[in-house]
Amino acid sequence: MSAKFDAKMGAIVILVVLWVASLGYAYTLNVKIAKIKAAQPKYKLLTDPETLTIAMDISIITTFDGARAYEGTSILIINQCFDKLVDFIPPDYTTVIPEVAESWEVLPDGVTWRFHIRKGITFTNGDPLDAEAVAYTLKRVIILKQEASWLLTQFVSDPENIKVIDDYTVEVKLDRPVAPSFFLSTLACTTTAIVNPKVVEAHAKEGDMGSDWMTTNGGTIGTGSGPFILEEYVPEDRVVLVANENYWRGPPKIKKIIIKHVPEPETQRLMLEAGEVDIAWDLYAEQLKEVAKEPGIRVYKTNSWGVTYIGMNTGVEPLGDNRVRKAIKYAIDYDGIINEILAGAAVKAQTVIPYGFLGFNPSTPYYKNVEKAKALLAEAGYPNGFSIEMAVPAGAYPALDIAAKIKSDLAEIGIDVKIVQITSSEMYERYRAQGLQMVLAGWGSDYPDPDCNAKAFGDYRIHQLAWRNKWYDDYVADLCERAEKEPDPSVRESLYLEITNYILENGPYAVLYQPLVQRAVRTWVEGFIVSPSSYTQSFYEVYKEYVVAPS
Amino acid sequence: MNIAAYIIRRIIFMLFVLLGVLIITFIVSHVIPADPIGAILGPQAPPELIEKINREWGFDKPLYVQFILYVKNLMHGNLGKCIRTNNPVLKDIIIRYPATIELATTALIFSLIIGIPSGIISALKRNKLIDHFIRIFSISGLSMPVFWLGLMLLYVFYFRLGILPGPGRLDLGLTPPPRVTGLYTIDSLIAGRLDLFINTLRHLIMPGFVLGFGAAGSIARLTRASMLEVMRQEYVKAARAKGLIERVVIMRHILRNALITPVTVIGLIYGGLLEGSVLTETIFAWPGLGRYATGVFLFLDFQAVMGVTLFIAIIYSFANLIVDIIYAYIDPRIRYG
Repeated sequence: MSAKFDAKMGAIVILVVLWVASLGYAYTLNVKIAKIKAAQPKYKLLTDPETLTIAMDISIITTFDGARAYEGTSILIINQCFDKLVDFIPPDYTTVIPEVAESWEVLPDGVTWRFHIRKGITFTNGDPLDAEAVAYTLKRVIILKQEASWLLTQFVSDPENIKVIDDYTVEVKLDRPVAPSFFLSTLACTTTAIVNPKVVEAHAKEGDMGSDWMTTNGGTIGTGSGPFILEEYVPEDRVVLVANENYWRGPPKIKKIIIKHVPEPETQRLMLEAGEVDIAWDLYAEQLKEVAKEPGIRVYKTNSWGVTYIGMNTGVEPLGDNRVRKAIKYAIDYDGIINEILAGAAVKAQTVIPYGFLGFNPSTPYYKNVEKAKALLAEAGYPNGFSIEMAVPAGAYPALDIAAKIKSDLAEIGIDVKIVQITSSEMYERYRAQGLQMVLAGWGSDYPDPDCNAKAFGDYRIHQLAWRNKWYDDYVADLCERAEKEPDPSVRESLYLEITNYILENGPYAVLYQPLVQRAVRTWVEGFIVSPSSYTQSFYEVYKEYVVAPS
Repeated sequence: MNIAAYIIRRIIFMLFVLLGVLIITFIVSHVIPADPIGAILGPQAPPELIEKINREWGFDKPLYVQFILYVKNLMHGNLGKCIRTNNPVLKDIIIRYPATIELATTALIFSLIIGIPSGIISALKRNKLIDHFIRIFSISGLSMPVFWLGLMLLYVFYFRLGILPGPGRLDLGLTPPPRVTGLYTIDSLIAGRLDLFINTLRHLIMPGFVLGFGAAGSIARLTRASMLEVMRQEYVKAARAKGLIERVVIMRHILRNALITPVTVIGLIYGGLLEGSVLTETIFAWPGLGRYATGVFLFLDFQAVMGVTLFIAIIYSFANLIVDIIYAYIDPRIRYG
């Protein structure tokens, strides 16, 4: 009996030895691979040359119905399978270019728009895309009134104001005159991506205009006219797109796209490095810094359409005093946040309109100046500081690290910040009810027009951020309303400069930074342009360039 | 009391437990002033729209009305709708559950293969070197962070050695078999695709091992303790005194009696594994219930929170019931009073 177990002991010892030996072998293999990699500039393509594979967290996909989708991943898929009236050519997000709409004009009344539809576009099942389809799509958004509908209904609230003039002309009558670039930039959102009325209506039930069916079938054959067709969608597993060979601008260069659901960034990184995927979508800043050093991987980056800020509720004493708010703005170590916590994954910005938009204001007057901040506090009557709560969404990266940094920065001028972690659903509920003292939050724009940001941060009348922080300032609210309507781009730009300067000086926000959007991509992928927003992220031009390396 | 009556009584009792779970989950998920719709729509959505959608979901009604409506729907087999996915909660669960069953079962098999023999060897070789080794190993199984173990295994076997496939249920280029049960192992066999079957099994190895490793630790410890207790019994001495060979004493007299405790715990462990595991699912990109549950909890997606909790409570209660029935078969001394 005992001899038997001694034999087992022996077996275990052998196993341990083998295990150590295999680790050693793996290590030498690793060194060898690294040497080979270093010796050759191009790499043997490890993935299928005709297929683009992407590791991405797709758990949040909600629907492939453009009229409803209001979340990045859903929008990204919709943007590949549908065409929009107009679009942007990255990286220029100030000039819209024609897509389905070949041209357009505004009638003398200033509110009636005529869109001339490009002839010869067909949906993926061969049905023609005409004025009827465009009018149906726009009306559908207004009638369904789903999550993203406000992008259109802020201009047109009545579906009757959308009319078919002839087979290739559609007329849209806006509720009020607005700056042309403002209206056009929202039409580049997938909310109004053109759907095929015949296919959609064939699946309608209980007056839902096919919305329920489109939830999982939007993008499948016949629904849209985009460069790709949705072939397969398995929730929290995969999305497979195939090329539309009859696309009106010519077939896309890549024949298939597989988006694999990989929620863990570290796993995404392993798959990218192993060569199983071509793009890792959601890597953290620290990981991106590491992979960027590796040969065979390139990190693409661009400024996002958003800002991260601290909101200060002016209804909570002493935040109502602008000197106190300025003291806080002067106490924060902006560079420390960007370089240390975010590992460079952001750019410094202190005004509310992001870089890349009309009216971007590069002014960054605030820097960490403890003396000045203390003097401002003393002047306001708080030489010994005070104590205040700051809400942060629970578990959010990197918000919590930033909150901790802010807490220590403000402690230097005597302000005691209590960090309150709450779930995002609770946080928004309380924020909307003006119930937070300070908040660390982000604001992202759906379309690259300054109106969205200026009004949210400046115009309390629309019940957005200014209202939530009880900043009832009529001067800046009036300015925002004027800028919204201003047809002359240069006048409009100067108005936005005035608005951003005013908010910078008086507003209840300390804008911390503008985040970067970064994607890690294998070098054999060509033609990829990273977009700040899913609405404009396209894979149409992407292809793989490779040489077969000697084995 | 016969066993059928016992089962019926237990099921009735289970209904009360479930009702309790329902009420507690409902209250807990509703006392927090949360606005999942606002959170999902994000800061840019106009307040009127958020209010409109809240009305459509009936979230503006008094709490007790919402509860009565919920229970009424439940009676018709309607678990409600998930705000985030806009799907019926039951459909969301059904889509994800087969992946969880497959992973949980693999994990259980791993934990049994590792846990029970280690426990037996450990008990028979008490205080010998191998016993210490196994005990250290079982403690490490219980305490090793799943996150770390999973990533290390991926790093070594997938990335460095390349002998096991990466994350997911199938290789990237493969299309899943037509859905019959949702279990890829079974569906691939139904479709007559041996290649898919083997691919699925290969994909199950690492996540199954990671999830099973923790359970193996507790099974090993329990088996050991139970073995030691039985080995001290008089009838074991009697068996040896009769001159039975050691193998027969161990197999027939010790093991059979010693396994009662582990079996009951194994049932509960399986019930636990069937709830899904967020960490393992996250690392291995496994589309199971654990991640879905975490997602809806974080958003306080009311109806989905209720639905998932209820579903897990039912699974767990059934696991409990089955354990008790098996118990009765293994140990005839147990009488139901």
